[in-house]
Amino acid sequence: MIARTSNSFRGTFIGAASAFICVFALGIANAAHEPTKSEIAARLLRQLPDVKPSDYALGSAAFDAELRTRLEENANAGADAVAAGRALWTAKFRDGRTLASCFPNGGRRIAQNYPQYDSRLKRVVTLEMAVNQCLKTHGQPLYEPADPATMGLVIAYVRSLADGQKIAVRVPPAAEAKFAEGSRLYFTRMGQRNFACASCHLQNAGRHYAEAALSPAIGQATHWPLIRGGAPVTLHARIRECLELMGAAPFAAGSEELNHLEYFLAYLSNGLPLKANAWREK
Amino acid sequence: MKRFAAAVLACASASAFAAAPPAPALDLFVRADKGNCIACHQLPDGAGPATRADVGPRLEGARMRTLGRSALRQALVDPMRANPDTVMPPFGRHRLLDAAEIDRLVEFLVALP
Ligand code: HEC
Ligand code: HEC
Repeated sequence: MIARTSNSFRGTFIGAASAFICVFALGIANAAHEPTKSEIAARLLRQLPDVKPSDYALGSAAFDAELRTRLEENANAGADAVAAGRALWTAKFRDGRTLASCFPNGGRRIAQNYPQYDSRLKRVVTLEMAVNQCLKTHGQPLYEPADPATMGLVIAYVRSLADGQKIAVRVPPAAEAKFAEGSRLYFTRMGQRNFACASCHLQNAGRHYAEAALSPAIGQATHWPLIRGGAPVTLHARIRECLELMGAAPFAAGSEELNHLEYFLAYLSNGLPLKANAWREK
Repeated sequence: MKRFAAAVLACASASAFAAAPPAPALDLFVRADKGNCIACHQLPDGAGPATRADVGPRLEGARMRTLGRSALRQALVDPMRANPDTVMPPFGRHRLLDAAEIDRLVEFLVALP
């Protein structure tokens, strides 16, 4: 899927429909070594001396008091999505079971542990994948991984059941290669504009890209889905928007690339409290 | 913003009279599908829309004229040659802008107040 190029650019550029992605090995880190979580944390502390790390998860609002007030005013923007998600979560399948019955404790306080490595499948399993595994087991049609009208609502509900839990994503030795893939994607320049995720969310965290203050890499995984115009936006859907900005053909929602990126991002947010359904204007 | 609108109007009417009007480069500077320079750089008051962008330095005419056309062209073709860690896109090398568009932007930059 990924065409790695050396220093110089080769090939034609992506069209919107093309699956072609150019990846550049040069970045703020060289390809051999991406910074560790503690190096990232130290860099952000140096770069953002006025922002408490516990506020990183506010995203842009960590840098803008007025936006922070509006965030607080819109704290319940996800209420309708959560209610609709709850209805899907408890709706009976033909066999009489429900999504809730697939998960321990009906799904309470599980979301902070996702994504998780499944040693039997040898894959990183996101919460969305776990939902689809349940649907599959019970002979139900699967949800599109980022569909706001089904998966988004269910995720809005299940993640709300873990509000206040600290993100606790584990990377066992067998999962290290998947994790490294996520980290590599975060630090690799991609697409026609030659940005890495880290160009904006680490190197320039807190600065303004157009009108928006750039959210720091740590804290980006706590508050999913976002609620925009009343509808849930999943993490994969949001990352795809950034990939468009980069001039890269976005990886599909639910792709291994985005699963691994999510794994890396969630690990960076370990220890921060989960708070689902954060309101965003844009 | 008013001054900016006036400048755009002035531009538009001036070009109506010129035989071979220099194509305005502000569009290349602000369009998301072109330079989108405005996402990272602020312009001097009145020279373009006011934004909070601060990923790159504010672009002032005096500094642009000191750098000179050739260095500016280099910076737009491939800023990574001067700074491998820069986040500024290589507009020429990645064919985001063609040579004529880069020349128009260089003229725009040296003419900034
Ligand atoms: C050219 C700049 C740029 C690049 C490159 C970029 N982003 Fe973003 N990203 C933004 C902007 C602007 C926003 C909106 C403001 C914010 O929250 O940071 C955003 C928002 C986000 C958000 C939502 C944050 C929130 O809480 O609302 C996530 C997650 C994210 N980006 C991840 C990524 C990932 C992963 C990549 C790489 C695949 C990436 N971004 C690349 C500019 C960028
Ligand atoms: C994603 C951010 C970004 C974008 C988009 C961007 N720049 Fe830059 N630009 C920078 C940064 C950062 C620097 C500082 C120098 C460096 O990083 O090497 C810079 C430096 C410059 C300089 C040199 C300024 C000086 O005082 O030395 C010029 C001129 C310039 N940019 C013009 C442009 C133009 C014209 C465009 C659009 C065609 C553009 N930039 C788009 C980030 C950006």
